[in-house]
Amino acid sequence: MGTGFKIKKAILYFLLILLGMVCLLPFLLMIVNATRSGVEIVNSFTLIPSTHLKENWDTVFEYFNLFQGIWNSVKVAVPATLLTAYFSALTAYGLAMYKFKGNKFIFTMILLFMMIPGQLGLIGFYNLCTRLHLVNSYIPLIIPAVAAPGTVFFLRQYVLSVLPPSLVEAARIDGAGELYSFHRIVLPIMSPGIATMAIMAFIGNWNNYLLPMIILNKNEKFTLPVMMATLKASTNIQSNQGAIYLAVAISVIPILLVFCFCSKYIISSVSAGSVKE
Amino acid sequence: MKSKKILSVLLAGALTLSCMACGSNETAGSDKGSADAAAEGTTGDSTASDGAEAAGDGKLVIWTLSNDLIDFGARFQDQTGVEVETVVIEPANYPTKVQTALLAGETEPDIIVGEPKMLEDFYDAGFFADLDEFGAQDYADQIVDYVWEVGQDADGIQRAISWQITPAGIYYRRDIAQEVFGTEDPDEIGKLFADYPTILDTAQKLKAAGYRIFSSDAEMNVFSGDTAWVVDGVLNVDQSRIDYMDLCVSLYQGDLTAYANQWSTPWYQAMAGEVPILTADIQNYADDSVNVWDAEQFEEATQGMETTEVFAFGLPSWGVLTLRDNVKDTSGLWGVCSGPAYGFDGGTYIGISSNSERKDTAWEFVKFCTLNEETADWWIEYSQGDSVSLKSALEKHKDDENEVYGGQKLYQFWLGQAEGIDTSKVTRYDQALGDAWGNAISAIKTGEKSKEDAIAEFYDVVESSYPEITVNR
Repeated sequence: MGTGFKIKKAILYFLLILLGMVCLLPFLLMIVNATRSGVEIVNSFTLIPSTHLKENWDTVFEYFNLFQGIWNSVKVAVPATLLTAYFSALTAYGLAMYKFKGNKFIFTMILLFMMIPGQLGLIGFYNLCTRLHLVNSYIPLIIPAVAAPGTVFFLRQYVLSVLPPSLVEAARIDGAGELYSFHRIVLPIMSPGIATMAIMAFIGNWNNYLLPMIILNKNEKFTLPVMMATLKASTNIQSNQGAIYLAVAISVIPILLVFCFCSKYIISSVSAGSVKE
Repeated sequence: MKSKKILSVLLAGALTLSCMACGSNETAGSDKGSADAAAEGTTGDSTASDGAEAAGDGKLVIWTLSNDLIDFGARFQDQTGVEVETVVIEPANYPTKVQTALLAGETEPDIIVGEPKMLEDFYDAGFFADLDEFGAQDYADQIVDYVWEVGQDADGIQRAISWQITPAGIYYRRDIAQEVFGTEDPDEIGKLFADYPTILDTAQKLKAAGYRIFSSDAEMNVFSGDTAWVVDGVLNVDQSRIDYMDLCVSLYQGDLTAYANQWSTPWYQAMAGEVPILTADIQNYADDSVNVWDAEQFEEATQGMETTEVFAFGLPSWGVLTLRDNVKDTSGLWGVCSGPAYGFDGGTYIGISSNSERKDTAWEFVKFCTLNEETADWWIEYSQGDSVSLKSALEKHKDDENEVYGGQKLYQFWLGQAEGIDTSKVTRYDQALGDAWGNAISAIKTGEKSKEDAIAEFYDVVESSYPEITVNR
């Protein structure tokens, strides 16, 4: 414990605190602005909360029911995230561990599809949904989450790096079926990677705006981002600024919750020592 | 152990969900309504298209981009008993939403709206139903002319009508006018803004008296549509465009504005009184010592800078509400006068979707919003100063005095301004070409390019973005 070490530590802590502040300041600003009126927000900048929280709250609820929006978003984001996580893991495991004809080809195709922006097929997708009578339902927002090329790509690399083939072979020798060994052995080992991708997928689904905006036509079915956008449609944009901040501040809470939940996984389930060489 | 448990719950959940989802997906083709209800675990929301199958069912679906129509819709429901469902969509994505839905043949919405800049595209795509079939032309002389004409497509068929007028005016400080020019009369002050050279002259007089004419140099933008950008497919850069360019450049280089940007903090602050005079470098962000979007830091950084008061703002008629919210102590000291030309900006136009199966109810609604004097009265009261397009209502309210503006009779004034608007000068290119021209002006005023270069680049931009426009250099 020399002084050199102490100084190093002090500098490190200082830098970390600085970094923490830089990261947290926008959140703090958002929360403070949620308590201020639109005119105050446009006119000045401060970290001292104001007294308009109640008014902003009332404005938000004048436009829509925020809790309904959160519930709608949960109904879309949670199943979509679970589907993405499970099926991507399954696909990634298959691509990484089984040798079969066309494996490379499929992987290349997945990579290719990663490059195509989904917005391109918007009108066609909508037409498809009309034919299937799926407009105004959450199914078109949830089911396509099964196919997530980006997640598959990431998880395939992850499986290759953390999962020794001998582990699965050992399970086979002990008589485990393929699905059984996937669920009992591979999934737990992959869970840090899956958790990471699940956070991403959840945030993506939670904040998804374009597709729900196009697919959903009823006020009471709107997901949170679509509802919040209606605050910007007001002729009174200035006075709605505070309400927008408040809605955003509240809508971030579920993301934070999911992050806390998943980050525990990332830290806790490290597969160290599962194989003895 | 615990994490394993959670994991297994997660997995089980994923499996059940996926099974449910797959199951319902398969049945979706044959059994439409119940499939999604089952997947969601909710009942009662069958698909949208089902609801539309029964026509004249006492229902009306409105898709709008401004929440004004929520209030109109609620009032319509109260008075007629028709169940109105108003869906508000953010303006930026409104065209996408309407396009996808109507191209896919959706019979809902019944009412769609548009801002002037989207209207022509909507007309061409055939989204709006022909209002003449409902006898719209019988009402032609009840609505302010320019609004009526903007609602017509290229063949003169009525497609949409707006309940508001949005003519541009100049908002000025009466006390400063009295001090510098010896009069505060709107007609007299209007003469000081009669054309671009006169405005420059006015600006210099105000500077000599210790004031600044404008907060930003973009205030005259709403008036710059004095000639059409495109005439018979040929780009038309009129002398007035050049004059406007010269004015902006002179205002900027002659140190005649307070160097704020429109809609930034100091711009709003200038409505309430004294503001610091910024420098050109701050306005175009070359000097970042002053953050114009952040008032506290702004105040600190501009301490000791020379302050001034700003004389005028150029805004459409909805600026009445913007100023009302921001003038603070200078309330009552404002006046409104005419600018160098007539102009308008914005306005929501209502029409009927051509796919609608409730066109008759929809037409009742359009009439209710735009042609009903009682609605117009209510709206004037309710919006606290928005200007309506119904002539008889404007006539009725022509003696209403607005206290923020020193008791000026604003409705009379806006009607006069609206009557001067010539819609033959409006083209679908206005927004894009206006922006490109604005970029050229910025490049000249900051000395980045010479006038010739900037205009040449403007021509290049037009040629490459709109091949259908002939450019005669």
